[in-house]
Amino acid sequence: MPEKEKKMIGFKCKKCDRINYPKRTRCLSCKGMEFEEVELGKECELVTYTQIYNPPAGYKGDPPLMLGMVKFPNGVLGMGQLAIDHPKDLKLGAKLRPIWGMLREIGGKEVFGFKFELAKKSKT
Amino acid sequence: MRDVVIIGCGMTKFARPLPGSLMDIASEASLKAIEDAGASDRDFDAVYFASMACGEFTHQAAVATALVDELGLIPAAAHRIENGPAAGATAIREAFLGIASGMYDLVLVTGAEKMSTVPSEVATDIISTMTHHEAEYIHGVTLPGLGAMLTRLYMARYGLTEDQLAAVAVKNHENGSKNPYAQLSHKKATIAGVKDSVMVADPLRLYHVCPVSDGAASLVLCSAEKAREFSSKAIKIAGLGQATDTHAVQEREDPMVLKAVQIAARQAFKMARLKPKDIDVAELHDAFEILEIVESEDAGFFPKGKGGKAAEEGKTALDGEIAINPSGGLKARGHALGATGAAQVVELVWQLRGEAGERQVKGAKNAFALNFGGFGDNAVVTILRRTK
Repeated sequence: MPEKEKKMIGFKCKKCDRINYPKRTRCLSCKGMEFEEVELGKECELVTYTQIYNPPAGYKGDPPLMLGMVKFPNGVLGMGQLAIDHPKDLKLGAKLRPIWGMLREIGGKEVFGFKFELAKKSKT
Repeated sequence: MRDVVIIGCGMTKFARPLPGSLMDIASEASLKAIEDAGASDRDFDAVYFASMACGEFTHQAAVATALVDELGLIPAAAHRIENGPAAGATAIREAFLGIASGMYDLVLVTGAEKMSTVPSEVATDIISTMTHHEAEYIHGVTLPGLGAMLTRLYMARYGLTEDQLAAVAVKNHENGSKNPYAQLSHKKATIAGVKDSVMVADPLRLYHVCPVSDGAASLVLCSAEKAREFSSKAIKIAGLGQATDTHAVQEREDPMVLKAVQIAARQAFKMARLKPKDIDVAELHDAFEILEIVESEDAGFFPKGKGGKAAEEGKTALDGEIAINPSGGLKARGHALGATGAAQVVELVWQLRGEAGERQVKGAKNAFALNFGGFGDNAVVTILRRTK
């Protein structure tokens, strides 16, 4: 799948409808084992964030590492790096969207996943 | 179930670095505890060694077997307990279960970690491996990062002020300055100094965050009936509780509630037939100062949202309503992962025996320890009682 089309996926329990994210073997609410893949959303909002000045070994960017917790319209929360240029744009409630990218190295190998960028880029 | 008591304890100073190998510091703490118990000539039924990451930090596995050999305690049963930073309290709990069941009579519990063997960013990474691998770890989440995100949420909801947050650090450094075993015993803190310290993960600064530590702490546990053969200083393990919560912090109904702490505390209070107001002294898991505040609420000592104000008003000081972290806590005593839960209980045993020197909480009778793993996903509570 082209990277632009990658979607953040949650796992909706077929028994109780709870959307499990991240994926697990049995549903957290009802122990159901059958799930339907659902898109978490194209947009989300920033719930809380931090800028980490002492990132872990394996993170290849310059500190600080911006990290945030986001909430999708369906109530599901996620965590990830914030691809935001200006700390002034770090505001609780900021509208974000998931984008695919390189996160860090683990055991010398690059690991990819979703980060979050501003839904509307601010003018510099 | 048989009653179980602690008849001896000891620890090394926490430091970065602490001279000696992992086995050297584990042996030092163990021998102090064995001697304190008056059990130097005794055989032990079992030895539990708590370490979160001895493989990663010191390239050693099967460390419990090694410690039994080191201490001349063969053929005692040997177990390493790995339960994140809750390993220490978990090892005490396992030893308790072994004795209470009637399987064992005399057990040694030692927690030890040497974290100074690797550069800071590697230590940060090793610690981060306890987070949810796909949802947290691969994104570069660090434990201070999780603490920082919780702090920001909590400040927005409950109006916690920077001065209140700093008050916890100032109090813990003050207590730590009276503890010769504390890593930062030489460093006091002021509100202005905390607020001016270097940023680690905003809004958390250096003085809101525990240091990287080497250290070891040990306890000798025994059945109450057998304790009569030893010292008269036995302290009873009156209550235990342990509970888990979602591995990924984001999946909790309310990230500002430490549900595992609430459940573990409730279990321990029920078993001990005590209430939060009965506790005189507590050691809480303040890896970040926000945690001491939230834990003091979820353990039941203060209403939700009031923990910061309580600290600012001196209610958690040595002479307050409930003395929290008389040792200096993880903040000032230090946080040597697998050793921490054992060190918390060692401090409380000294408090209940009236042997805590300058930091003694007067007349302490009931004590509460909370040790947790991950970011609140595995909480272990131990309640101790002086029966004499």
